[in-house]
Amino acid sequence: MAASMLCRRTAMLCRALKGLSCSKTVLSANSQSGFLLQTASYNPKPLKLNLREPYVPDKDSEKTPEWQKTARYDRKLFGRYGSASDIDPASLWPSHEQLDKIIAEEQEWHPPLEVMLKNIEAKEKQETEKRLAKEKLLAANMAKMPKMIADWRREKRETKHKLKEEKARRAKLLVEARERFGYAVDPRSPKFLEMVAEIEKEEKKKKKLMKRRLKEEQVVAPVTPPAASS
Amino acid sequence: MSFPKKPGGKALDVLQNLPRITLANLRPEPGARKTLHKQHGGNRSGRGHKGERQRGNRPRLGFEGGQTPFYLAIPKYGYNEGHSRRPQYQPLSLKRLQYLIDLGRVDPTQPIDLTQLVNARGVTIQPLKRDYGVQLVDEGADIFASKINIEVQRASEGAVAAIERNGGVITTGFYDPISLGILIKPVPFFLRGQPIPKRMLPGEDMVPYYTDAENRGYLADPEKIQQARLALAKKYGYILPDISKDELYHMLAMRKDVRQIFFGLAPGWVVSMPEKKILKTTDEKLLKYYSS
Repeated sequence: MAASMLCRRTAMLCRALKGLSCSKTVLSANSQSGFLLQTASYNPKPLKLNLREPYVPDKDSEKTPEWQKTARYDRKLFGRYGSASDIDPASLWPSHEQLDKIIAEEQEWHPPLEVMLKNIEAKEKQETEKRLAKEKLLAANMAKMPKMIADWRREKRETKHKLKEEKARRAKLLVEARERFGYAVDPRSPKFLEMVAEIEKEEKKKKKLMKRRLKEEQVVAPVTPPAASS
Repeated sequence: MSFPKKPGGKALDVLQNLPRITLANLRPEPGARKTLHKQHGGNRSGRGHKGERQRGNRPRLGFEGGQTPFYLAIPKYGYNEGHSRRPQYQPLSLKRLQYLIDLGRVDPTQPIDLTQLVNARGVTIQPLKRDYGVQLVDEGADIFASKINIEVQRASEGAVAAIERNGGVITTGFYDPISLGILIKPVPFFLRGQPIPKRMLPGEDMVPYYTDAENRGYLADPEKIQQARLALAKKYGYILPDISKDELYHMLAMRKDVRQIFFGLAPGWVVSMPEKKILKTTDEKLLKYYSS
């Protein structure tokens, strides 16, 4: 009956258990197979069970030590002497309370296979998600890279260019000052700064004139074509 | 008429009649070996000339005269961290397995289990030293030639291929430490008078290994195992023999249930050695527990 309850996995196991319970000894299998196979028979150490004078301690007397009155020792006695030790075989299995404790412990510490597989799947899923997210991030950043590189290069070029321009402008100003004053003026002196301010003013005036001219041209230009067309 | 003398003569007689040569019967020719005697005497009793050597004040092992010694200069790294918590598997080479089968210590006409291997003294397992069983190693895969039904705890791919190439069956099964202790020493366990416990399932870290058909795990799908057998045969380049046509098919198909420790014995039974009887409980609660 226990055998039938175990066989929930495959039919093979069912047959296997039934087969072994009625299987023959080794030698007959040998003779059936046809060829002679010598098997060194395993010589076990003789079991000294001492069945002639079994020592069964007296539970009631006070002289017997405590450890000989425990359930564990009773089981060992039964294991050694069998029914010759007057022990109720039903006490070998755990009682109902002990069984409840065992079941609770097993439920807590030994989850069934389905639960474990689910946990493993969840963990794997988490890991793959993490990995995929990381890879996505990497890919996105790498896609941005050419543009970022080009931007940076452009920035660098522009700053270089600006510096060059700045230098050229300063050199021009120095030359201008040299011409005006006749000697090399220190760029930090107030004279130089006044000269720079003057030049800037003149440039501004020029720009304003240019703008006005452009505006006038633009006003003239759209007026004349409609006049011409009409 | 003198008969032709036997070549060898008395020496041959001696050789044929005296017992076999062992280390106990041999002795070197006198004068061949010079015994090395201990040091005795000498002006300074073999201690050298002055200094720490003669005065017996040498520093501790590993000291390098003040230079940072090797064992302190090398930085720490957790190579051996948690080594005592790692499961260990005693290796069993196919060469040794073939040796045991040839000498008749292991019977190939019955399923080979860890109990059989330990009975044959082929391997020694120490469950208290974090041994979780035996692993098959593919040393000797080229000379292996026996058709067996073997159950180990771990197996390399080459070993699996070698066994299946010869028409055998290999399974990897997990035994928790208590079950392992019972498996390797069944008789002392039966003398304890306890009911046979049920085998626990592997921990979460080992479940993927035992549910994988590539490793022929005992929790894996039988169809996937068949597919894996064919794939392995293709990979290693041999024709997979059809075991269903074998005369020993019934024996080769024997496999233990997930909760079973011994073939033919179910959890919850008590084996009584003196009377050669098996006791089974009839309590439903106990039966339900032991068959879950």
